[in-house]
Amino acid sequence: MEYKAGKHYMSFIVRQIALKSDGSEIVRAESHDAAEIFIGRNAENAIHLPDLAVNPVHASVTRSEDGKVHIRSLSDLKFELNGRRRKEGSINPVRGGELRFGGHVIAVGLDDATGAAICTVRRVEALSDSQEDKDQAEIYSLTGKLPSKRLSAWGFVALVLAACLVWPVYTWATWRGVEERPDQFHADTMWSSGKLSLAHQSLKKDCQACHVDAFVSVRDESCLTCHEDDAHEHAPTQRQLTSRGMPEGFEKFKRDVAMTFGKSPGRCVECHTEHEGAGAMQPTAQKFCADCHDGMDTRLTDTKLLNAADFGDAHPQFRPAVMTKPGGKNPPTRRISLDDNPTEDNGLKFPHKLHLSKTGGVAQMGRRLSGEYGFGASLECKDCHTPDNDNVRFQPVDMKENCSMCHSLSFDEIGGTFRQLPHGKPALVHAELRAFFRSTRPNRPINLGSRGNNPRRRPGDVNAQRTASDYARAVRFRPTRAAQAIRAVFSRGGACYDCHGVTQPASRGGLNYGIMPVSQTDRYMHKGWFSHKAHNDETCESCHAATDSSKAADLLLPGIATCRECHGGEASNTDVPSSCAMCHDYHADEGAPWLIRNQDKPKTITGAGDKTISSRQPQKAAPKQEEGNYGRTGG
Amino acid sequence: MASLFASLTGPKKRKATKGRERSSAHVGFMRHANFRWLKILVLICLVSITSYFWIDVQPRHNGGSWYGYTLGTIGVLIILWLTMLGLRKRAMTAGSWSLKAWTSAHVYLGLSLIFIGTLHTGFQLGWNIHTLAYALMMIVIISGIFGVYLYATLPQKLSSNREEMTETQMIEALRSFDRQLHDAAQPLDPEQASLVQASLEQDPFGGGFFKRITGKYPGCKTRKAIAELRRARTYAPRTDNNPTEKVEQLLERKEDTMWRLRKHLQIKAMLQVWLYVHVPMTFALIAALSAHIISVFFYW
Repeated sequence: MEYKAGKHYMSFIVRQIALKSDGSEIVRAESHDAAEIFIGRNAENAIHLPDLAVNPVHASVTRSEDGKVHIRSLSDLKFELNGRRRKEGSINPVRGGELRFGGHVIAVGLDDATGAAICTVRRVEALSDSQEDKDQAEIYSLTGKLPSKRLSAWGFVALVLAACLVWPVYTWATWRGVEERPDQFHADTMWSSGKLSLAHQSLKKDCQACHVDAFVSVRDESCLTCHEDDAHEHAPTQRQLTSRGMPEGFEKFKRDVAMTFGKSPGRCVECHTEHEGAGAMQPTAQKFCADCHDGMDTRLTDTKLLNAADFGDAHPQFRPAVMTKPGGKNPPTRRISLDDNPTEDNGLKFPHKLHLSKTGGVAQMGRRLSGEYGFGASLECKDCHTPDNDNVRFQPVDMKENCSMCHSLSFDEIGGTFRQLPHGKPALVHAELRAFFRSTRPNRPINLGSRGNNPRRRPGDVNAQRTASDYARAVRFRPTRAAQAIRAVFSRGGACYDCHGVTQPASRGGLNYGIMPVSQTDRYMHKGWFSHKAHNDETCESCHAATDSSKAADLLLPGIATCRECHGGEASNTDVPSSCAMCHDYHADEGAPWLIRNQDKPKTITGAGDKTISSRQPQKAAPKQEEGNYGRTGG
Repeated sequence: MASLFASLTGPKKRKATKGRERSSAHVGFMRHANFRWLKILVLICLVSITSYFWIDVQPRHNGGSWYGYTLGTIGVLIILWLTMLGLRKRAMTAGSWSLKAWTSAHVYLGLSLIFIGTLHTGFQLGWNIHTLAYALMMIVIISGIFGVYLYATLPQKLSSNREEMTETQMIEALRSFDRQLHDAAQPLDPEQASLVQASLEQDPFGGGFFKRITGKYPGCKTRKAIAELRRARTYAPRTDNNPTEKVEQLLERKEDTMWRLRKHLQIKAMLQVWLYVHVPMTFALIAALSAHIISVFFYW
């Protein structure tokens, strides 16, 4: 289409389009015949844009002869021409184009009829942000301000399940069947419900040492992997279950539930609960013992054990292993209740009463020797009884160490040195005495001899000859005096006879006296534990009635009544509430029970147990305690 | 949100009443049924604490004893039931199992978990999945307590702040000011017009969570426009008909409305924000509980 020359190029049609509230459009059109029209916020402008982003007079619009529309900004502010920011530009109205000022768009086109340029003005942006459509439910809430609850909820679910479930299961599956897991972080340790006991610290990164199969409760085999030596069987499992009896009521319910979940009774872990904190393992509670031992004879009818449930009021009298015949490496013993007043012949004569008397010859002798041996006003227990290394029991009384201060075996003095009869060897005693009489002469009579004038000599040769011949006879028969001396030593009033039982010679007039065997019991209660160390604050006499004992055969062990003066059951109000575990152990050995070991060694685990002292092997004397009120060997 | 609980009584079946006994006074979920669930809470506390000391678990209380398992089972059932409130709340019904009763039970049974859960642990805590579950439970409970506190205190503030204006009215007021501002600012020179334009263009609901919850909007363009215009006017010669004066007045009124709106948004944000902890943490808790329970049986 050709442009006609004339003033057409000077005409513009401005069409303002406004929106009604119902969305329909209102168009107002105005013609402007001018060479230049202006665009701006001022109402005087031909193209009036009520837009604060537009300058009062923003741009001018002219038309060149070729019909093109030229737009030029009147300030530094740019406008958009077909989407490009410009300060100046032109549009061929035939092709059309679009201008944008602030929130307004001006479409430029050509009016076919008149050839005028048509500028269609339209507001495309809301006049303010608040005018825009807004979803009230959203803008008044925190939507969009925070990550959505749903998103974060599922995010956390995924995170927790991955970290705390999937990862540990993966770890378990990875290390299955491996004997020992390496010392590194393993995800399943986050499942640990608490610290392992001190003894099991080395397993703290190796869950699978005990938890072998998934959903299978810890089995005894896992424990016995390490504990095959020290986990003695308390009693055969079947007998234990029998003695426990069938649970009733709530206990039965508990057991049924446990069985349902695969926890059978009688397993190690039933008592040995783990993950209870990094202390030493807890001693067995009284209840666990009483479960079986209370009224056990009604369930386990063939048991030799007596019922026991509580030390304070349901414990049988002690039945110490009393030696029935001294001598030999393992003298025979029999368990006899202290209620039956058992006696024990250990082969010695020893009246405790005499030795502990505050008056009399023994006390007097003790006082004389006090400077040398530290005796007091009278003898005390500690003067003869020496505790063993652990202060638990006592070393056997030793003749040389504990008796010979008073009961001397000296029979000869040579240059201030006393010769002694060898203790414990009757044959050597014979020999020593014979040798003594063989090698010594009788005392030389004072009136014997020819040295000058002895004023003590009775006058006359007869007397001199008598003395000489008497002496000669004495010398000659001196060796035969040995038999006399031997008899004397082994007979009433003799050094051996005083303390030992003596066997008479086989033949009349014979000399082969023998000493009855002596055995000292180092421990009477093998099924229970007693330590003198723990009773240091007590005097010996408070438990052992030694001061009234006139015979060595008196068994000076205190009965349960004496113990109960201080000790009661686990839940009692006595001075020392005592559970079974204080004296007994489930996996008992010769040593102290776990509870006692634990008290003594709270920081260590591998309690090797107490060394038991053999009565047959005299130990080196333990250092005597200052206040050492030790009674007779107990245990 | 506050009206959520106020309107929960719903279309109640009217009971036959004698004379003028019928009471229509609103009873909140905390006091529902004469504190029925509070009484149940107290009962649960007493029973659980007494039994904790009564029952002798050897060697010490822990989640793995029969007593511990019992508490744990009760606890997990309560937790799952409490979670159901999320579904239940979408259906408002009346009656003895009304949503209000349900909410009341939710709050008090939730509080009872403090006791049940803690006693279940036997106070044996550590860095493990079990304690994680416990910690998450406590976070959920504490956020819940915070929520109850907010629900008890904020609705009053909310209603006194808005002075019977609805949310629609608030935004309509702003729109009206914006239109007026737009018109009034037409005669202004470009510099001042751009100040007004900035105010118009700024989203009154904009700003992040922090601004929303603190109610502090340091970059507010409306306030800036007021300040700038006022400063310009101070040094300009006084005239009879200064358009900036009118613009300024309009801006001030808009700012008043914005202030109220922002206060409103702040309170509403407070009413909602605890749920952004409570709900996701509940899900995390259920995941941790699952891991806790499975792990216990896995390493049985």
